[in-house]
Amino acid sequence: MAVTEIALTERLVAPWAEWAKQYREGRRLLEAGTYALTEGAIAAGCRVFAGYPITPATDIAEYMSKRLPQVGGYYMQAEDELAGMHMCAGASLGGLKAMTATSGPGFTLMHDAYGWAITNEIPLVVVDAMRVGPISGITGAPGQGEFYVARYCSHGGNIETIVLSPNSVQESFWLTIDAFNLAERFRTVVTILTDQVISDMFEDLFLPRDYAELGGIVVPRRHNLTMPFYPLNSDAMDVPPNIVGKGTGVCVSAYTHTEEGYDIEAMEAQWAQTYRLVNKIRHHREEILRYEAVGLEDAEVIAVAYGAASRTVKTGVLEARRRGVKAGFLRLISLWPFADELFGRDARYLVCELNYDGQLVREVMRAAPDKRKVHFMGKSGELHTVAEVAAALEGVARRDRIPELPYIWTEVR
Amino acid sequence: MNKLAAKYLRPSQIPTKACHGCGIGMIENWLLQALDEMGLKQEDVVFGTGIGCVGRQTFATWGGDNFGATHGRALAVATGLKIAQPDKKYLIVVGDGDAAAIGTSHLIHAARRNLGVTVICEDNMGYESTGGQFSPTTPAGYVTNSSPYGMAEPSFDPCDVVKAAGATFVAETTATQWHQTVKIVKKALENDGFSFVHVRFPCNENFGAYALGTRDTLKNLEWIWEHTQGRTVDGKETDFTWETGIKHDASNSRPEFSKILRDMNERVRAKMTEKGSGDGGH
Repeated sequence: MAVTEIALTERLVAPWAEWAKQYREGRRLLEAGTYALTEGAIAAGCRVFAGYPITPATDIAEYMSKRLPQVGGYYMQAEDELAGMHMCAGASLGGLKAMTATSGPGFTLMHDAYGWAITNEIPLVVVDAMRVGPISGITGAPGQGEFYVARYCSHGGNIETIVLSPNSVQESFWLTIDAFNLAERFRTVVTILTDQVISDMFEDLFLPRDYAELGGIVVPRRHNLTMPFYPLNSDAMDVPPNIVGKGTGVCVSAYTHTEEGYDIEAMEAQWAQTYRLVNKIRHHREEILRYEAVGLEDAEVIAVAYGAASRTVKTGVLEARRRGVKAGFLRLISLWPFADELFGRDARYLVCELNYDGQLVREVMRAAPDKRKVHFMGKSGELHTVAEVAAALEGVARRDRIPELPYIWTEVR
Repeated sequence: MNKLAAKYLRPSQIPTKACHGCGIGMIENWLLQALDEMGLKQEDVVFGTGIGCVGRQTFATWGGDNFGATHGRALAVATGLKIAQPDKKYLIVVGDGDAAAIGTSHLIHAARRNLGVTVICEDNMGYESTGGQFSPTTPAGYVTNSSPYGMAEPSFDPCDVVKAAGATFVAETTATQWHQTVKIVKKALENDGFSFVHVRFPCNENFGAYALGTRDTLKNLEWIWEHTQGRTVDGKETDFTWETGIKHDASNSRPEFSKILRDMNERVRAKMTEKGSGDGGH
């Protein structure tokens, strides 16, 4: 078979596209995604980890238990995940950057703490290494079942959330630093949705020489020592987080709050609080948007994926190009707020994700100009093969449908 | 406003939203007395609460730094806070729902770790802010709005639970024992470790009305007092007795949790310096 050279434009829109050029001295290792993520947290200044061991996030806890005492930090093993996230929230309120890590079964237990941390504008990072579900599912198989759960991570509505997803060991390092930065700048919880494949696999990992030299990219913890503790009707970002224990008189609670933070049952306060929690994120979407794109310019069919799934999907797109299909690739890195702006083109979309029910595809159908041109390719518990993706892209491009393939679901409705 | 309230509380939140005759305000005043007698200032203390009557009526009454956790999670939040701000005194004021039901696992493990906080469990023997349902501390057989035929479950004593879990100071008192309560709270705060103070108080609107048949504050206080004595005012034996006073005092006998972690860090870092690897090493 003749090898065809294809010139495609590749674009990575993420802060680490620059960071990787800026920091070139360091060490090259062969390491796991969990290791990279842990080092990213340490580099970002995380000094508290509280969590409960769960496959495939356990290694993050183990690495943290070793690394945190070395940098003057604290590892705590909680009695359950909801205690773990509340402990992290307490530590962050006390002035220390904190993170917890879990998988689906633990993630569902954290919703209590999520609402509390988001309402009180407490910077935190939560990692969910997704495995196939529902419930315990198969502990050693990847899944993408928490796309919506991560967005709707608390009851009661009236919030926006920030969710990022890496697709390599190296990216797990940079993206974790980025997650901490966003948590500080937006005073909120940032969720990292990784998965069993990206967590457990070993790849090349470059770590900068000395984390102390990352000052130019790490957003440090600052403290808000004066009123207002909760700016009402404000969409401002970069408001320093509040601190408990410095005698400022700040109040932190589960209730609708005033600027001081004490509870109030007044609609004006409810509306003002919601305005802030929603619009501090909505009005700064461009600060959060991260994605990778290949060959979108002339693409007639665009494959959309994130996390582990995006790796074989990308290769499938290149294979389809070799077969003469004008295929493009779009990998979402920031999953929420959802990147509506990337789906403006009236092309055909092939959404590949690791679940049979269809989650990401529903958002693409909503955002794309014509939802009838949005196709779904779900797999459960294992990655799409390159051959499957290439065949599906060919099918969608030439016959407007995915050929019948075993163990692949295409129905959304 | 009384002098103690003026010194320690947040004027905008006083008076609280508590029902007429509720014991919560009285107990809070006794807590302030203990702090005052110990010479503690507003900025020395972080005040944490949960959800329910006790959380709702005490949250943000404290003039200093406050947190009101989700239901039952005050001790989990306090665990993180204590790590970050180890030099503060923590007064964690929660109800029987927070401590003895939804948050019991956090209570047990905070006691096991000997976390340096003082838990004041203000127990009105049921879920009164939701209208008077039984809780694990409602006496067995008593009628509430969710036990119309009498509470079918046996109750339990949270003091026994935290003592078994390793709390270094455990005491029980009631809203009828002013001087004893102040003395106990002071001793609790002097323990650099996990202190648990169980304070029963009357709810007139629900527990009093449905379990005891009266909304009269004095009669409800009297019912509690009788059960601390084992005798009714007219000399009859009560159906059960609450033993009050200090139940376990091993104050300052073992290291406090955040100190254990700090000491471990120092050991690890001292070893690293010996080996000559710095902060950024991995």
